[in-house]
Amino acid sequence: MNISLRPVPTSVETIASAPLTVVARGGRGRSEQALIRGAQAGSEADLAALFHRHWPRAYRAAFLIVHDHAAAEDIAQEAFLSAIRHLDRFDRRRGFAPWLGRIVANRAIDWVRARTARRETTDAGHEPVFEDAHQAVGYAPEVLSALATLAPDHRAVVVLRYVLEFTPGEIARALDLPRGTVNSRLRRGLDALEAALGEEPGW
Amino acid sequence: MSIERDLARVHAPGEDGAEARAWTVVRAAYAERVPVRRPPRRARLLLIPALTALIAGVALTPAGATVGRWIRHALGEPRATSALFSLPAPGRVLVSGSDGTWIVGADGSKRRLGSWAQASFSPNGHFVVVASGSTLAAVDSLGSARWTLERPAVRDPRWWGPLGYWVAYLSGSSLRVVWGNGLGDRLLAAHVDRVAPAWRPGSADQVAYVAAAGRVVVRDAQTGSLSWRSLPGPKPIELGWSSNGTRLLVLSRDLARVYDAAGRPLSTIVLARSAPAHAGALSPDGRLLALVRGGAGDAVLYDVADRDPSPTRVLSGAGLGELAWAPNGRWLLITWPAADQWIFVRTSAGSGRRLLAVSRIAEQFASGPRARDYPQLDGWCCTRASG
Repeated sequence: MNISLRPVPTSVETIASAPLTVVARGGRGRSEQALIRGAQAGSEADLAALFHRHWPRAYRAAFLIVHDHAAAEDIAQEAFLSAIRHLDRFDRRRGFAPWLGRIVANRAIDWVRARTARRETTDAGHEPVFEDAHQAVGYAPEVLSALATLAPDHRAVVVLRYVLEFTPGEIARALDLPRGTVNSRLRRGLDALEAALGEEPGW
Repeated sequence: MSIERDLARVHAPGEDGAEARAWTVVRAAYAERVPVRRPPRRARLLLIPALTALIAGVALTPAGATVGRWIRHALGEPRATSALFSLPAPGRVLVSGSDGTWIVGADGSKRRLGSWAQASFSPNGHFVVVASGSTLAAVDSLGSARWTLERPAVRDPRWWGPLGYWVAYLSGSSLRVVWGNGLGDRLLAAHVDRVAPAWRPGSADQVAYVAAAGRVVVRDAQTGSLSWRSLPGPKPIELGWSSNGTRLLVLSRDLARVYDAAGRPLSTIVLARSAPAHAGALSPDGRLLALVRGGAGDAVLYDVADRDPSPTRVLSGAGLGELAWAPNGRWLLITWPAADQWIFVRTSAGSGRRLLAVSRIAEQFASGPRARDYPQLDGWCCTRASG
């Protein structure tokens, strides 16, 4: 069966939006382990604190890899849902951010690969296109354009390193890659960005 | 400005709105993650000897013996075959039960697709969209997952569109749609009734669902625009388009309403309180309406084109379940949980038997000796000529 996509206007998202809830951003000052323990014990407030602490970076990382608002929202949301599904089994000695970041990065890479595969088999006119993505975003357009020139795996390594602030070792574990591969992808990604932007990266 | 600073300083587009939407979903999933407490197994086991004693007591008394004979006679077709060797019409049947989702080939072969609670075919039957708990997934005919999606309390997935564009499903009280490749998941309507949505065949994007006060709404999933909606009415229990997309059945316990594609009422059938509707389906051409009625129990056909349609009974029996038309519209599959049978009723003229029955259904859809629940009927595919 030929499955293809067509552009969906953002207005669909607002057709009948569920009532949004204003959530108190509590949890300041509490350790992440305490929040996870609370969430495991059934505290919605602790879960909310965890969510709001980690959402911006999860969404941002997904967006920088996929360059699509709706997909980024889906990916970040799916990552949190997955986290909830496995919350009871989560080892509190491990960091929540690396765990979540790994899910986000892998799902974002899968999404880009799937979109690329679809482009090979479907009418390009059916692809979701968000022409205003660069203009509407707080990122410099040239940075987004430069990131878009990277392969998704390389893009993910750069985003994990410089947005989620993973160490190369954490990236290697998150993406199930050898440490050397991470370093080489990081170097090649930076070189490509440097070439695309015509400047010396500041890292 | 360095790239590092550019990447670090961002406030991504729509970040706050996305965060609020995601929190709503995440919070709902968190609220539902507490496992349901099942009654202690010991208590259930204690019920078995009590029920056995009760049945034995009834059956062994003189009056009970009569009741027993009546039940044996009333529950089930006596000439049933003990195994499903073939379907009487082309296509494949999909069922789900406590032992997962199964696909039945025209030759009667059965394949288990996995531990799913509900399922429906893709437009041409090449894939199946399945749901269980908080997971929605698309699987191929071997049961391999092509994609999965996590949403709270997923149920009633329905797949449609000429090229498999859309899947609609309920998540809690929301109606959501996702593209056929698992991407682009989004909310289409909030606060909907727990009735399976129905895609309109022949139209890639129109989906019918039940909103508040029993209103039936037909909306374009692509643009979100309202196509039409009915007046408030009795709470529907089932929606179903004819395969040619010309008619929509809105079934309530005491009312069967048929609309045309533009929302104009074509036919209204009032059902007696003593024989409320349990299930219904329009024939592929939209001409006939099949209903399963409760009370004494029967399955009947109505000619929707009649000004004053009257029922033609095709099967009698207490405890009938669901029904599905064969893709060619010549046979009707009626499930009979109380008798542990499937009944195939021929609705068109022709030679051969008019009724075929298969018994021991629960056993045939059990992967192990302990699974013995009667499965629900998810569909008989495919109604499209290309299927």
